[in-house]
Amino acid sequence: MRTKQTIAIIGATGNMGSAIAKSLSRGNYRLLLFTSDKSKLKNLEEEIASAYPGADVESINCSYTASWEADVIIVATPFAAEKEIADKIREVANQKIVVSIANPLNDSFDGLVTPPGTSAAEELQKLLPHSKVIKAFNTTFAADFAQPVIDGKQVDAFIAGNDSDALETVKELVQTAGFNPIVAGDLPVSRILENMQLLLIRLGIKYNYNWLAGWKILHQ
Amino acid sequence: MYELFFKKVAEKITLTPAQQDIIKHYLIPKKIRKNQYLLQEGDVAKHAAFVEKGALRAYSVDDRGTEHIIQFAFEGWTISDLYSFLTGEPATYNVDALEDSELVLISKAAQDEILKQVPEYEAYNRLQITGAYLAMQKRLTAMLSLSLEERYINLTRLYPNLIQRVPQRMIASYMGLTPETLSRVRRKIKDK
Repeated sequence: MRTKQTIAIIGATGNMGSAIAKSLSRGNYRLLLFTSDKSKLKNLEEEIASAYPGADVESINCSYTASWEADVIIVATPFAAEKEIADKIREVANQKIVVSIANPLNDSFDGLVTPPGTSAAEELQKLLPHSKVIKAFNTTFAADFAQPVIDGKQVDAFIAGNDSDALETVKELVQTAGFNPIVAGDLPVSRILENMQLLLIRLGIKYNYNWLAGWKILHQ
Repeated sequence: MYELFFKKVAEKITLTPAQQDIIKHYLIPKKIRKNQYLLQEGDVAKHAAFVEKGALRAYSVDDRGTEHIIQFAFEGWTISDLYSFLTGEPATYNVDALEDSELVLISKAAQDEILKQVPEYEAYNRLQITGAYLAMQKRLTAMLSLSLEERYINLTRLYPNLIQRVPQRMIASYMGLTPETLSRVRRKIKDK
């Protein structure tokens, strides 16, 4: 695709948000960065500008305006903040791709706060009924973005969603970020994906992976 | 957000509030800034864009790099590469914003879904396409049979704010003239 797409990153200065912003500045995208924590924004902008001088990146101080301009909205905030964000952007996120990256972990990192019959992505879809919610970037750690090849293998990144065009678009984002995209299934598959990350976090804590770990599906 | 869009629809067909709500669910509100592309040649035109506010143009670029403007779109107009939008083939036009603009985008899939759920919308859609066809025919006839002065006057009637909002070189490009020829045409009209 030649036409540059505009991507709003809500929560752009968080661990994940900034990792996504940096890795997508390599691609043919225009990035709009929004955060409620303005103090880190200047740093992030400078980092991107020095790493990718041609990057089309701008910070914007309103999530509504950012989402209005965007073709794709990445909600890079904790699960607990989803409702507040959804209420703000609902009107301008209509029919747009909204990427849910959140893992609804509990405070002790040993379980999910969502009941078994749902997921963070499906809850976001309920809040944004006329948007195309896609689960992505939830099975990768922030550090993986700087190093998407670990132990000689390119990290897999799983995607779930119901709209085939939207899945295709997000697949390209995942590829631009350096990961091997795998479409795992419809949006309810997010339940499995969110649990996969729970497992990876628990293993990481137990065996001290130092937050640089990822999934790789081995197959013939 | 969709005021002008529904106002234009209401000029052609009558919808119940419930039907308007159904249609609203399928519309994409999109802000675009001056000089940004909505569509570049070679990509498939996934949307038709209705202009709530602002101005856009559709143009092709020939082998020598010269731009040929096909259409301007101001408030209340719809713009896209219609051929690409309807067939799914790559676009031969570029569409970009001449001013900061607020658009309402409709995808082909959304349009099909609206047509299924709100059959009345079919009449509106048909009138839109008929209108585009008639405009095209008028433009072609004017090109072939009217004098440059007549064509320029017709153009300023079709787009009342054109001269204030669009640079002369783009008007010249739309008419298939060099800017120098256009300024001669304008002088001639003034002198009359």
